[in-house]
Amino acid sequence: MTTPTLGSQALSYEWIKFRSVRSTLWTTAATAVLPLLGAVFVAATGSLQPDDTVLGGSLTLSVVAQMLAAVVGALVISGEYSSGTIRTTFAAVPRRSTVFAAKATLVAAVMYALALLSCSAAYLVGDAMLPAGRYAQGDPLPALFGIAASFAVAAVLGLAVGTLVRHSAGAVTTVIGVLLLPSLFGPLFGNAERWIAGLSPTAALEKLTQTSDATSDTVGSLGPWPSLLLVAACTTAITLAALLLLRRRDA
Amino acid sequence: MIEATELTKRYGERTAVDRLSFTVRPGRVTGFLGPNGAGKSTTMRLILGLDAASGGRVTVGGKAYRDLPVPLRAVGSLLDAKGVHGGRSAYHHLAGLAASNGIPRRRVDEVLDLVGLPAATARGRAKGFSLGMGQRLGIAAALIGDPEVLILDEPVNGLDTEGIRWIRELMKSLAAEGRTVFLSSHLMSEMELTADHLIVIGRGRLIADTTMRDFIETNSRAHTLVRTPEPEKLRALLESVGAQVRLDATGGWRVDGPDAATIGNLARDHGLALHELTSTHSSLEEVYTALSQSSVEYRTENQKEAAR
Repeated sequence: MTTPTLGSQALSYEWIKFRSVRSTLWTTAATAVLPLLGAVFVAATGSLQPDDTVLGGSLTLSVVAQMLAAVVGALVISGEYSSGTIRTTFAAVPRRSTVFAAKATLVAAVMYALALLSCSAAYLVGDAMLPAGRYAQGDPLPALFGIAASFAVAAVLGLAVGTLVRHSAGAVTTVIGVLLLPSLFGPLFGNAERWIAGLSPTAALEKLTQTSDATSDTVGSLGPWPSLLLVAACTTAITLAALLLLRRRDA
Repeated sequence: MIEATELTKRYGERTAVDRLSFTVRPGRVTGFLGPNGAGKSTTMRLILGLDAASGGRVTVGGKAYRDLPVPLRAVGSLLDAKGVHGGRSAYHHLAGLAASNGIPRRRVDEVLDLVGLPAATARGRAKGFSLGMGQRLGIAAALIGDPEVLILDEPVNGLDTEGIRWIRELMKSLAAEGRTVFLSSHLMSEMELTADHLIVIGRGRLIADTTMRDFIETNSRAHTLVRTPEPEKLRALLESVGAQVRLDATGGWRVDGPDAATIGNLARDHGLALHELTSTHSSLEEVYTALSQSSVEYRTENQKEAAR
């Protein structure tokens, strides 16, 4: 038996578990629907800042959707700890890094694909509904690919947090906190605000959507793509720490 | 075949499993006994690689669990009924396990059939399952890979009489097929009916590793129940040959010392009529209670001393 087979078997195991529990399914569905709802709402009510872009306005709710993506990531592992299935999982796939890699691949791929579809659709809907020429258009390409990637990063960050916390309610609270706190408490740090706030996946997302909210005072002056890279690097570090702990800890 | 060598697990100060060595062989049902907190569940988690041993090693079929190429085809395990997500159906629980080890999907229907879970029930969410149904699902999961080795922690927990009989027959038939069956239980009477071999632990240490029959014969005190119309005369007679005579709860004398034949001959030689002469062994339950009692007492003593 070769490692690729083991990996794909672990992945199909995770896929069956993912689609057979309501909590992950509904949260995933909400992640996909929210950006579209946001685009319809913003366009119908015309509630854009005058200096906003069509892309940024249409993706108003993508920040919340991204948070849900992270929640899904957290649920995928913390749900196993809460229900006790983690032991069943490790008995079936004793290599814990394989389990973790399968979970990360699954949530990242699902969230990337859904976010790409949903955010593209949201932009098209917003563009069609908003009066032509009143707002700057914004550059949807290649930004939408980056936006989708930021969802995948958020989902993996959620998975890492879920691995560290091991309890569903605690993991969901923590992961929302991790995404919200930098922008909530950033102002307390004065000039350091943009560095702290800029570390959150939310910041990378806001920059990529080219919304008028993403000023350099609040989320840092780093460009959207370097910002995405920075967030991905931080997530990788947290993920490695979670993986090390997962391998060492008793299940 | 499961082989533990000097297996040790410490949680901080507390030693849950203490240099435990034993071998569980194929072709028979091996019972794993010990009072609550003796380290049975910990030992089983160590075998499955869920907890890391602090010392020593344990192998299944010569390999550490994590090195098994297709674990579910080698080892089936049931740790506790809570190994299933309440929101997931029994069917998907099993389908996922099958997928994880490259086992064909049709095996799911086979094991559902084997444990007697109807297809319609298996499609419903496991949250609505009774303890007994959950236990059947756990056994279905253990059997999904048609494994050579079965490790079951308290498999009869929550089952009704019919379910218990079913498990007993299942375990025996699996052992008869040459598989290794290792099960823990606190129900001694059940173990007496199911297990061929016993591994007994107390406070994480090995107390006995022997056949069921030897265990009872070595550890139980044989005694003889005698009834006679002239009880006082018989008692005096028996005590004169050094026997210990006590009143049995059912009436009659409970005699420790001479065996039934000696007592019968003695009575005949002295012209005493006997209405009953039965030789009995104390049951596994009694032997076990006596054994585990001493280990429990020891622990309470220790704790008292530690508290001082």
